Amino acid sequence: MLYYLAKRLGLSAVVVCLVVLVLFSLLYLIPGDPATIALGPRATEEAIARYAEKMHLDEPVWRQFLIYIGNALTGDLGLDVFSDRPVTAIIMERIGFTLALVFAGMGWAMLIGIPLGCLAAVKPNSWLDRVTGVLSVGTIAVPSFLVSIWALLIFAVHLRWLPAIGAGEPGDFSDQLSHLVLPAFAIGLSWVGYLARMVRASMLEVMGENYIRSARAFGLHPRRVIFGYALRVAILPTITLIGMGFGGMISSTVFAEIIFARPGIGKLIFDAVMARNFPIVQGAVLVATGLYILVVLFSDILIAWFDPRVRESL
Amino acid sequence: MPKDAIHAPETLLDIRNLSVDFRTPRGRVKALRDITFPIRKNRIVGIVGESGSGKSTVLWALLGLLAKNAEVTSGEVRFGDRDLLHASEAQLRATRGEEVSVVFQDPMTSQIPVLTYGRQMRDILYRRPNLSTAEKRRMAVEMLGKVGIPDPDKRIDQYPHHFSGGMRQRAGIAMALLTGPQLLLADEPTTALDVTMEAQIIHLLQDLQKELDATVVVVSHNLGLIAELCDDVVVMYAGEVIEAGEVREIFHNAQHPYTRALLECDPARIDDVSRKLPVIPGDIPDLTKPLSGCIYAPRCQRAMPVCREKLPPDVARGEMSLARCHLLDGPHHDPSWPPPPDVMTVGVGETSASKPARAVSDTPLLDVSDLNVQFETVGPLRARLRGLETRHVDAVLDVSLSVAPGETVGLVGESGSGKTTLGRCVLNLVPGQGGSVKFEGQDILNMPEARFKPLRRDMAMMFQDPVGSLSPRKSVRALITEPFQIHGITDVDLDAEAERLAEMVRLPGPFLSRYPHELSGGQARRVGVARALALNPKLIIADEPTAGLDVSVQGEILNLMADLQAEHGLGYLIITHNLPVVRHIADRLAIMYLGRIVEEGRTAEVFARPVHPYTQALVEGVPQPDPDRRRAHVSISGEVPSLLNRPKGCDFAGRCPFAQDHCRAEKPPHVTMVDGRRHACHFPLT
Ligand SMILES: Nc1ncnc2c1ncn2[C@@H]1O[C@H](COP(=O)(O)OP(=O)(O)OP(=O)(O)O)[C@@H](O)[C@H]1O
Ligand code: SF4
Ligand code: SF4
Ligand SMILES: [Mg+2]
Repeated sequence: MLYYLAKRLGLSAVVVCLVVLVLFSLLYLIPGDPATIALGPRATEEAIARYAEKMHLDEPVWRQFLIYIGNALTGDLGLDVFSDRPVTAIIMERIGFTLALVFAGMGWAMLIGIPLGCLAAVKPNSWLDRVTGVLSVGTIAVPSFLVSIWALLIFAVHLRWLPAIGAGEPGDFSDQLSHLVLPAFAIGLSWVGYLARMVRASMLEVMGENYIRSARAFGLHPRRVIFGYALRVAILPTITLIGMGFGGMISSTVFAEIIFARPGIGKLIFDAVMARNFPIVQGAVLVATGLYILVVLFSDILIAWFDPRVRESL
Repeated sequence: MPKDAIHAPETLLDIRNLSVDFRTPRGRVKALRDITFPIRKNRIVGIVGESGSGKSTVLWALLGLLAKNAEVTSGEVRFGDRDLLHASEAQLRATRGEEVSVVFQDPMTSQIPVLTYGRQMRDILYRRPNLSTAEKRRMAVEMLGKVGIPDPDKRIDQYPHHFSGGMRQRAGIAMALLTGPQLLLADEPTTALDVTMEAQIIHLLQDLQKELDATVVVVSHNLGLIAELCDDVVVMYAGEVIEAGEVREIFHNAQHPYTRALLECDPARIDDVSRKLPVIPGDIPDLTKPLSGCIYAPRCQRAMPVCREKLPPDVARGEMSLARCHLLDGPHHDPSWPPPPDVMTVGVGETSASKPARAVSDTPLLDVSDLNVQFETVGPLRARLRGLETRHVDAVLDVSLSVAPGETVGLVGESGSGKTTLGRCVLNLVPGQGGSVKFEGQDILNMPEARFKPLRRDMAMMFQDPVGSLSPRKSVRALITEPFQIHGITDVDLDAEAERLAEMVRLPGPFLSRYPHELSGGQARRVGVARALALNPKLIIADEPTAGLDVSVQGEILNLMADLQAEHGLGYLIITHNLPVVRHIADRLAIMYLGRIVEEGRTAEVFARPVHPYTQALVEGVPQPDPDRRRAHVSISGEVPSLLNRPKGCDFAGRCPFAQDHCRAEKPPHVTMVDGRRHACHFPLT
């Protein structure tokens, strides 16, 4: 297990390095002087010089790369081009909003999608199964930004049930919660469909297994058979899917945060790209990648916890 | 001893007029038709019949756990004052696992892999809310101990994959008996196990039944097991009970022509070691078609015109004995039926001349000497981390073996003994580490594939799982001509070849356009034989050629293989754990244990006078299809050790009743005796 963790962490480090490398090369692949690109065409001579110095632009590229990595390891992701504030601080201010959104989005999708898939599999071809089938195809097909816009128009503008923009008053939990509902709904919706489909398929497979028949033959209650036995095995591939799904989820937050004007990482990246604020883009993408890797690692550990065979093969 | 000598036992469960249909796209399969038989209290009842005869369907119907497309069209199952067929779901749930419990066929797939035994057993006790968790655990530990699991206190916290096959089945029995059920159902409880394990499980069931005063129903197609274990026997054919009776009545004085035929086909019963095995011609009828008259008429040697029209009467002999045949009663009664037990009623298939004395040539076709095959178990890094000295296991250890043209060599051993690995190494599918493999004098061990390829035409493999090893999207025609394509042979007329091969394995022409899932087990096996024969090989390596086949079909395949050998002078290396079968077909036997050959010699001699204690255990371990020849004890206990911790001395020392200190210290070398037998034992039996 320790061996496995060490291996996984080593691999993760390699992935992060690769991401930084890509981010770096992007900067150099775009024609023109990196400082001008980073600071934009309207930057002053002075700003460019200052930037060049700070980013060690006079050093060879590989050294710049190493310096960046070294700094990143100590939590220093450079300075914002415009405000000169540390990128790390800016990201830290906003990351909470994105995390809340992603977890709320995935959370409600899991809460609805998994039981739905389960029930559909238990009674195949029932009306519930049919409805689930149609719903999941429907929700998967609609892109999350469209859902965001519609949700905004219907629930916030038209019905005025929920607030439309912002993240709510700092400190006021219920206000923040009410601001979270619509964006979380929007980015989670297609995941309800995915999860329901996935769980249904693996449940159907597991329900046909001999050990489910055994559990029934021992007279266990159907609830125990379905949730204690079948779901316990059928959930395993879904955990992997959810882990990987966080990546896609983080990218959907970009739209949701723009549309609902939430001050999260997605919006930060978007604004930074528009403003060619390169240190912010680099830092934010790096943090998002790191988060993603952590979640995937966590999901793998969760699987190992659920499945003794996996645990022992680690 | 029958327990009812004085007063007749009462009936625990009474199945009356049970009929079950399955709705399928092909139409309604009338899987059970009017099944009636009692299950008497404190007896072990065996249900026997060929594949598809409806044995499992009866069991599942008792539990109310039939497949979703099943429909019970009539009948009742009386259990006490209840009718299980018409009980509510809640009532059934209270019965299942509590009063009626089950042991499953395949312990590998029927226990959930992600829960410990402790958890699974606690779940079964969920209807006892007044028991604390600790008390439930104590009960479970006790029961695991009772079925012979060592250290039950520790093993209970392990998962199924920590247990070997035999241990799992023991645990399965413990789970079934945990609640003290009145009725225990066992569906093919030993089919997935090795011979020595099977013997142990049979005895365990027998002992527990006596100790707990339970009633047991065992479903099996293994006549030996039924004779060894059961008190009453029910014979099923194509969804009907055609005969029932006490075990001696069935095995010594069978009334129904089908029962007779089934018994005569069992290779374990045939002492005369002629190469031909008797077979029941034809196939089980298609149960979607309308049925009339006697269900067995199309295959019956004694069928009369009336048999096809009129349902035969159930002729009763005793309290639960009956047989369904026109010969036994009514206007067509034949007083001379059944003939004495030693008269054969079935022929030896439609096949031609019995085998001529084969010219077994002296120059071997295949000559394996001191072959070793190792498998890497852990990566180099991990071995370092864990401080392991060796990263390999010896799957095949110093094996020497030869096959002459026209000779059949049987390679026998339990699962994990390295039989299949040896076969694969000979075919250059896994690399060997030391020793030599010669084919017609040419050394072929680890030969590069490019040079080996032409030799593949001369050596063919018949795979273990016929349907699984055939590509499902190809027609039979394409499948049996595939070897030509693999070897890029274009100068033959493929259609003509397909017909030639189909005729050779006696597969009727129309089958050429079928697909694997439309074939029965025996037919799929024939396709496997045809593929192996396509390129006129000299040597065929057959991995379990008859595993999973019914006795009658098994005879057909073996007869076919014998005919082809006589015609073409093929050499066979037959890998199997089925001793009764190899006894009939093999000239020589090699017994493998944990990767080593422990005994080798002429088949008849090995059977008559085993030299190695393991061989003796195997030979004695075969259950005999004769209730008067039940064994009083199990000859060997314990299990095959893991390759990962091969004993230092004799591999068999841990289970050998004759083991001495010397055995545990030093590996016995291979010794050739004066009569040419070879063995590896310090203290051979004489
Ligand atoms: N779910 C099902 N749908 C359709 N037909 C079925 C189904 N289950 C069983 N059958 C058919 O019912 C008949 C009896 O099957 P059953 O499994 O009871 O036989 P069996 O005697 O247990 O055979 P085996 O020795 O192979 O286990 C067979 O013809 C089989 O094909
Ligand atoms: S009734 Fe006729 S066909 Fe059926 S078993 Fe008896 S003799 Fe054979
Ligand atoms: S060498 Fe010893 S332990 Fe091994 S089989 Fe012979 S007698 Fe038994
Ligand atoms: Mg069956």
